[in-house]
Amino acid sequence: MKEKKEKRHVSYAKWGLIFIAPFFIAYIIFSLAPQIITIYNAFFENYRSGLTIVGPNFVGLRNFVSLFTPDANGTIDILKYTGNTLLMWVEGAIPQIVIALLLAIFFTSYRLKIKGQGFFKAVIYMPNMIMASAFSMLFFTLFSNVGPVNQVIQAMGWADATIDFFSMTVTVRGMIALMNFLMWFGNTTILLMAGIMGIDQSMFEAANIDGANSLQTFFRVTLPLLKPILVYTIITAMIGGLQMFDVPQVLTNGFGVPNRTTMTLVMYLNNFLSGKNYGMSGAVSVILFIVTGILSLITFRSLRTQSEEA
Amino acid sequence: MKKLLALILASAMVLTMLAVPAFAEEAEAPAEEIVMHEGVTAEGEGTVFNIYAWNEEFKGFFEKYYQVPEGVTVNWIIVPSDGGAYQNALDEALLNQENASADDKVDMFLAEADYILKYTGSELTQDVGALGVTDFSNAYEYTVQAASDANGVVKGVSFQCCPSALIYRRSIAKDVLGTDDPAEVQEALSDWDKFAAVADQAKEKGYYMTASFAATYRPFSNNASTPWVVDGALQIPAEVQQWIDLTDSMMEKEESLTSGIWEDECTAQMFAEGKTMCYFGPAWYFNFSMGNAQDPEKGCPGDWAICEGPMAHFWGGTWILAPAGTDNPTMVADVMNTFINDEAVCEELVVNEAQFSNNQAVNGKFAEDPAFGVEFLGGQNATAVFVEMAKNIKFENGTIYDQLCNEGLQNNLQDFYRGGSTKDEALANFYKYINESYPEVVTP
Amino acid sequence: MNTNTVNSKKAIAQLTIVRIIVYIILAILTILCLFSFYMLIINSTRSNGELQGGFTLIPSTHFIQNLVNAWNDSSINIPRGMLNSFLIAALSAICATYFSALTAYGIHAYNFRGKKFAYWFILAIMVIPSQVAASGFVQICYKFGLTNNYLMLILPGIASPVVFFYMKQYMEAVLPMEIVEAARVDGSNEFFTFNRVILPMLKPALAVQLIFTFVASWNNYFLPSLLLTKSELKTVPIMIAQLRSADYSKFDMGKVYMFILLAILPVVIVYLILNRNIIKGVTSGSVKG
Repeated sequence: MKEKKEKRHVSYAKWGLIFIAPFFIAYIIFSLAPQIITIYNAFFENYRSGLTIVGPNFVGLRNFVSLFTPDANGTIDILKYTGNTLLMWVEGAIPQIVIALLLAIFFTSYRLKIKGQGFFKAVIYMPNMIMASAFSMLFFTLFSNVGPVNQVIQAMGWADATIDFFSMTVTVRGMIALMNFLMWFGNTTILLMAGIMGIDQSMFEAANIDGANSLQTFFRVTLPLLKPILVYTIITAMIGGLQMFDVPQVLTNGFGVPNRTTMTLVMYLNNFLSGKNYGMSGAVSVILFIVTGILSLITFRSLRTQSEEA
Repeated sequence: MKKLLALILASAMVLTMLAVPAFAEEAEAPAEEIVMHEGVTAEGEGTVFNIYAWNEEFKGFFEKYYQVPEGVTVNWIIVPSDGGAYQNALDEALLNQENASADDKVDMFLAEADYILKYTGSELTQDVGALGVTDFSNAYEYTVQAASDANGVVKGVSFQCCPSALIYRRSIAKDVLGTDDPAEVQEALSDWDKFAAVADQAKEKGYYMTASFAATYRPFSNNASTPWVVDGALQIPAEVQQWIDLTDSMMEKEESLTSGIWEDECTAQMFAEGKTMCYFGPAWYFNFSMGNAQDPEKGCPGDWAICEGPMAHFWGGTWILAPAGTDNPTMVADVMNTFINDEAVCEELVVNEAQFSNNQAVNGKFAEDPAFGVEFLGGQNATAVFVEMAKNIKFENGTIYDQLCNEGLQNNLQDFYRGGSTKDEALANFYKYINESYPEVVTP
Repeated sequence: MNTNTVNSKKAIAQLTIVRIIVYIILAILTILCLFSFYMLIINSTRSNGELQGGFTLIPSTHFIQNLVNAWNDSSINIPRGMLNSFLIAALSAICATYFSALTAYGIHAYNFRGKKFAYWFILAIMVIPSQVAASGFVQICYKFGLTNNYLMLILPGIASPVVFFYMKQYMEAVLPMEIVEAARVDGSNEFFTFNRVILPMLKPALAVQLIFTFVASWNNYFLPSLLLTKSELKTVPIMIAQLRSADYSKFDMGKVYMFILLAILPVVIVYLILNRNIIKGVTSGSVKG
């Protein structure tokens, strides 16, 4: 039996190659060259001074050395921005995944029979439909010194003076995390729901007949079967989180206020890119690639082995 | 899947149908007779004229007052400035100008004062004198200086002049200074020491002197006596340092708000109930950007006036530049000449478009016209004030770094004034910001 | 008997409490989600002057005025922009979703030399930030005269590692090899099998990714703003940015908010159509099962 299967696979092998060919052709045509150029640039001095192109001059690892050289206060910028990015991502992503998982269970639960599901499902996805820049503009006016949040706080007598939300690290990071949460939890819910609905319904029925309660069903049936999708959700959320850009960029006008404590890695990258500093932007890209790669691999491996054990 | 595709196609069709009537509407008859300049081109020159811009201000003037010569099609390539898109797209087009086909070549493009040197200092723009734009006798000197490279070769012209005035609330001036007469207010605010003293008085009476920490930035920065970068090293010009000192002291005494110029907190102060005495800005600012002050219910139109203030300066303005390699040199020169030397067209700009034109003779006429008062300014003739001011404006010591320095310094210091960072941190962040784009600049 | 009814009563009471908690959570989330829309709608009813005065919770009276102004603004063409955006977003969503499913199936269902490498290679490029290659891509397009060409915005979607990864994971969860083998008809074209048998089984996943890729493309500003410079080709986000960088005499945030609001409507429609598919796919699938 086993032998037969393998034989079959061999005879079908060419189809596998045909099916994956378009992806690789498109990748080579559209993405490969710019990506190689980016990495290549990381080892060169290459920037524009106005319209004058300086370089490319080979500098070895100098760009990387300068990225990791502490400034006068002893801060290594790129580590600071990596920390900012990870922290703001975690602040938004943990509630995002927890709430999304809960909602996905609520919506697919037999017993709860949530009414108005169609409405809720549309509503939770709506923040994702607004452009990130427009969403940030709204938050900017909402929390401005003369904005409604301040008006409410003063009307309620909770504070005497205006609270400048943009002058405090906690509040700016909080706003960014809240926005990211609002923009992405609906998205994650839909992913997980599609995953749960893809599970063979007879499994749930069997669990029900065996007298499993909701929690047992969730941990024994849903979670193991949902694992591949959950792995996907966590890894892509992390990749997206490390590439966090437009929300903090628009909200802080690209300056990562206060004192660059909300500057993310890609905002930093963007500062180099908008100045056409291809050498340094290449170096930041390589580091971003390495950081994301390592974190993804760790997550992937740890979640993988767990699921294989289960 | 099929159903899905059908649905998508159906909705696409609906959208198309919606789109059709909008296209049909476009042809509109010109409302009234206006003076137009008859454009010229020369035998053998290109038939497609490409103009790069980030908004439609100049396009409006061009289409109204310039009759495109027969056989030439004008293409407007409008790229928004959001996210630096305009300069990115323009730079790529200019750098590929040599290889571009005749119909795709950039024939003219627009630039602002803060980054104009990036283009005029480059080989990618050309001497407009050689094209036939030679008479600058009526244009304001600073507009010519701004469009010139380091050797004094002129690469373009501006179709407007933007002297920026001190705009004050008459009622508050009366309360603080005992007068709202522009000449007397000017006397009381004619230098920065007096300005600081009046700020103290205003504070005592419960007013703010300015509504934004950056309100006073342009008078200083546009009058800098040294460039931002000297011998490859960043040096905050003495005037800008003076601005920092003044602002430090005003912020400490709470004589100004920490808001940016375009933020709600600043513009909200323009309402009648606002407590702010001074704004700074050119004609376009009080005509178009002080909407709250003009609001018939909550605003205070007529309660404003302008004077020169402590320092004559300009703010804003747009220049039209001639790229190297254009295949329409005759028409490029003709357009430029039209907007600085065709008096009939310049007059139309003043009368119909609320512009302060770049033609001294034309502006002079309106300065003397008593019927040319601005209602918003309580009947004051703004042109008369600007005519005097514009003579004293300079554009010197520009660098290709100006846009980055101006934005970087103001934004990082705002963080300090709001309490987000210390002054040292703010300055350090400013230097980092410069070096991220320009690694060659030595910073302290 | 007696204990049974007590138990079921207890269970019903428990269920009711859980339901109440669930509805409370949903209500809070709904308010949070809808508040930004509420702000958007309020802002679209206010004039530029009113918007400069700061935000209020009460709508104003300029809704129609803003709509007319935005619609008639000569620098943009709203229906044309919507149509352009729709064309690009729909085609790139279809390209990305279809080819990702195809690629994922190629790796999921077949054994061939280099399969493992292909899989890990795609996962590796998924980690490369999209911003990285964008500026190089723009330069190449300018160099080879490929600006103002929709294909440059649609075809790169064929290689979408994130969508591929989702499809692969989804197949791992719902498409065991036994089903694949059963679906195969000996001698029939494998391509046919994929399109006719496998794709329908992936309906929920396809719908999900169509929505996501459509929305991402619909809201994309950076690349289109640099590559599409002809006015008749511009997309919605470029037009909104154009309204925002309008000169002082035409600057009107009322128009901007109105257009942002209008721009959401097609996305909502697409979402509602596709969202229904997520459920449909499953019910038809379960009937089969």
